[in-house]
Amino acid sequence: MSEQPVIEMRGVRKSFGRTPVLQGLDLSVPPGQTFAFLGRNGAGKTTTIRLLLGLIRPTSGRAEIFGLDCQRQAVEAHRRLAYVAGEANLWPSLTGGETLHLLGRVQGRVHEAYRDELIGRFDFDPSKKVRAYSKGNRQKLILIAALMTRPDLLVLDEPTNGLDPLMEQAFRHSIHEARERGQTVFLSSHILSEVEALCDRVGILRDGVLVDMGTLAEMRHLSALTVEATFDGSVPDLSGVPGVSSVETEGRVVRCQVRGTVEPLLKVLAASGVHELLSREPSLEELFLAHYGTGAELKDKPPRAS
Amino acid sequence: MQADALTRAPVRAGRWPGAVVAGLTARKAARSGALWGYVFAIFVASSALGYAATYKTQTERDHLAATFGSNAAIDALIGPAHQIQTVAGFTAWRSLGVLSIVGAVWGLLAGTRLLRGEEDAGRWEALLAGQTTRRAAAGQALVGLAAGAATLWTLTAIVTAAVGRSSKVEINVGAALFFALALAASAVMFLAVGALASQLAGTRRQAAAYGGAALGLCFAVRLVADSRAGFGWLRWATPLGWVEQLRPVASPQPLALLPIAGLTAVLVVLTISLAGTRDLGASVLPEPTSAGARTWLLSGPIGLAVRLARPTVAGWAAAIGAFGLVIGFIAKAASNAITSSSSAERAISRLGASGTGAVVFLGVTFLIVALLVALIATGQVVAARAEEASGQLDNLLVRLVPRWSWLTARLVVTTAALVIGGLIAGACAWLGGASEHSGLPFWTLVGAGCNVVAPAVLVLGIGALTLGVWPRAASITTYGVLAWSFLVDLIGGIIGLNHWVLDTSVFHQIAAAPAVPPNWTTDGILVAVGIATAAVGVIAFTRRDLQGD
Repeated sequence: MSEQPVIEMRGVRKSFGRTPVLQGLDLSVPPGQTFAFLGRNGAGKTTTIRLLLGLIRPTSGRAEIFGLDCQRQAVEAHRRLAYVAGEANLWPSLTGGETLHLLGRVQGRVHEAYRDELIGRFDFDPSKKVRAYSKGNRQKLILIAALMTRPDLLVLDEPTNGLDPLMEQAFRHSIHEARERGQTVFLSSHILSEVEALCDRVGILRDGVLVDMGTLAEMRHLSALTVEATFDGSVPDLSGVPGVSSVETEGRVVRCQVRGTVEPLLKVLAASGVHELLSREPSLEELFLAHYGTGAELKDKPPRAS
Repeated sequence: MQADALTRAPVRAGRWPGAVVAGLTARKAARSGALWGYVFAIFVASSALGYAATYKTQTERDHLAATFGSNAAIDALIGPAHQIQTVAGFTAWRSLGVLSIVGAVWGLLAGTRLLRGEEDAGRWEALLAGQTTRRAAAGQALVGLAAGAATLWTLTAIVTAAVGRSSKVEINVGAALFFALALAASAVMFLAVGALASQLAGTRRQAAAYGGAALGLCFAVRLVADSRAGFGWLRWATPLGWVEQLRPVASPQPLALLPIAGLTAVLVVLTISLAGTRDLGASVLPEPTSAGARTWLLSGPIGLAVRLARPTVAGWAAAIGAFGLVIGFIAKAASNAITSSSSAERAISRLGASGTGAVVFLGVTFLIVALLVALIATGQVVAARAEEASGQLDNLLVRLVPRWSWLTARLVVTTAALVIGGLIAGACAWLGGASEHSGLPFWTLVGAGCNVVAPAVLVLGIGALTLGVWPRAASITTYGVLAWSFLVDLIGGIIGLNHWVLDTSVFHQIAAAPAVPPNWTTDGILVAVGIATAAVGVIAFTRRDLQGD
């Protein structure tokens, strides 16, 4: 049974009134994987997560967690997961400690030693009332509340919203620990460096359908390599070279994208007196932007040597 | 300054960049003031025209005046009647009695919403980073509130003057303007109360609670003053009494405007000076920011519901207890002023009570107790909706709390609070009466207290149903049912409304205990209907999407 996916969605559609948000989403996350869910604002990421948690109902299709129906068997499914929202909405009159106690009790399971370790790691003061916490401190509170139960599945919806860089490190450390223990992580994030650092597999959501999914290596392999060449003398015309696209010339510097083998390009470059050559794989940001058809912002960035 | 550059951008009106707060507040206040101005106008017009149509002859009108002119219980609820044998006098009496309370509630809510509510929402932060100071901003917001009050007054005045021109009504323009002023006076004072409470409290809800406590106190003092129990001088001790002392139409006393203007001025000055001494987002009264963990209740939805409802319910219980003490205390003296004429009896019996004596006075005034207890129910419906809309509920539902269990826990805890409210009302009314040797039996009054729980359970059931079916309308529907029921029952008894209309009031269903014994069968039916409606609501809630605002 270890092969049973932790998250399984089949043809899930969701509309709010007449506005379709998810349009036939298929998704499968196997156990132990750290899966990143990317997409622009309004692409349907939070809707997907709220569907998985049973907070909203699919218009059609089926969503399961650990093989349990997300609607009808929600409580059973929740026994093995924990969720962190992008915005911590808590009861302002309770203190941090009271909130952790309550959330632990209604989850039914808390690793007390790990909770105390997390409180220390996130430098969190549980004695204050929630209304007195800053946004970042509230976010720490729900992170601790989720991590302290050591669930089989962590569902994280932009979990580092409002955290400072030190706390972001503490968060990454905690997610690495979770991975080592074999916990499955489903992470929706806008911080692509975070996703690159943490995740095995990435899914890109656009207009309610998954437009790309795979490991970062797979996705990079399928996409173009960026090459920047500086010439001593005249600049050759690279636009006719097989596999080359998006050629831009700035003085004696040429930037282009290469798909497939680089051999034809190398031959042309070698014959033209190339002085300096830089190439790199696309960053996740470029992959992401490529899916949204706006790579223009990246042109100004010089590629780093690879 | 950099802050200027940042915040001037979103402000469109470049002409008076310093008056943005006044403009924004005025726009919102005027919109709300206009809405309530229409309500006031319709109320005044329907009172005048309804009276003229119902009581056509002078004999009928004299008879009405004899009835209500001698009824201490009605006086205590609505205020003393002056010249109600005329259309103008009746209109002034009825409108002033009801609309001064409505206006005060509006003022309170509008004042706290537009000051503390806007600050809570973070909208003042952007404005205050611009070309204004906290003190100036508070002053401007008050100017904005004044615009709202002016709108309310203008609409009421125009309609009153127009209706007054009718030969059946006969209120001249000057009297109409003064009448409208009297109607708007409590709104003006309580707008200022709301503004001050917004400085004292740290959240809009807390500010509204402070203001509500002030209004409750003013109403209780006014009720004692008008109960003919020998406390008439107390009318000068409460803002609502000052409004009565204006006596528009019948025998205008503009002098009573002095304390009204004085109080408003003091509140305005206090508001502005306190706004300058505190931080943005902070309150003047200290609020503890940390506390020791008290976790014994926090183990599940029931415990959490108790913990969250406790401060509010304690406040209501205190208000209900105080009100019970007051009416118990004055019941004997007030009942001496209720004549035993058959017409008086008939008038009271419209409200369900009959006979004479302290129990009759209590039978009528327990309508207010019923309202207060039902307000606990509406408050908890609103709180439950807010817990869902804010996302706080998500924290429970993504764990092992099933939806039905959360909502049921909230409803059960609220029902317990309703029962506590009813028992406290009965016990305190007995205590107040006992101190005056009025000889009211304990169990009769406790029974009367339990009696008012039934309509509150029905209101709660209706609230749960709307939470399940149409959550965004839950607050307005529940408060709407309550306000409609209360007004129909209060007014219906006086102007003899059709029984079909009266039957739409949840309060009209119950017996006017302690004047008559409670009808436990009816109460049982109300409770059963309430529970059934709530059950449908819970089922609907488990089958819908959670919804934000």
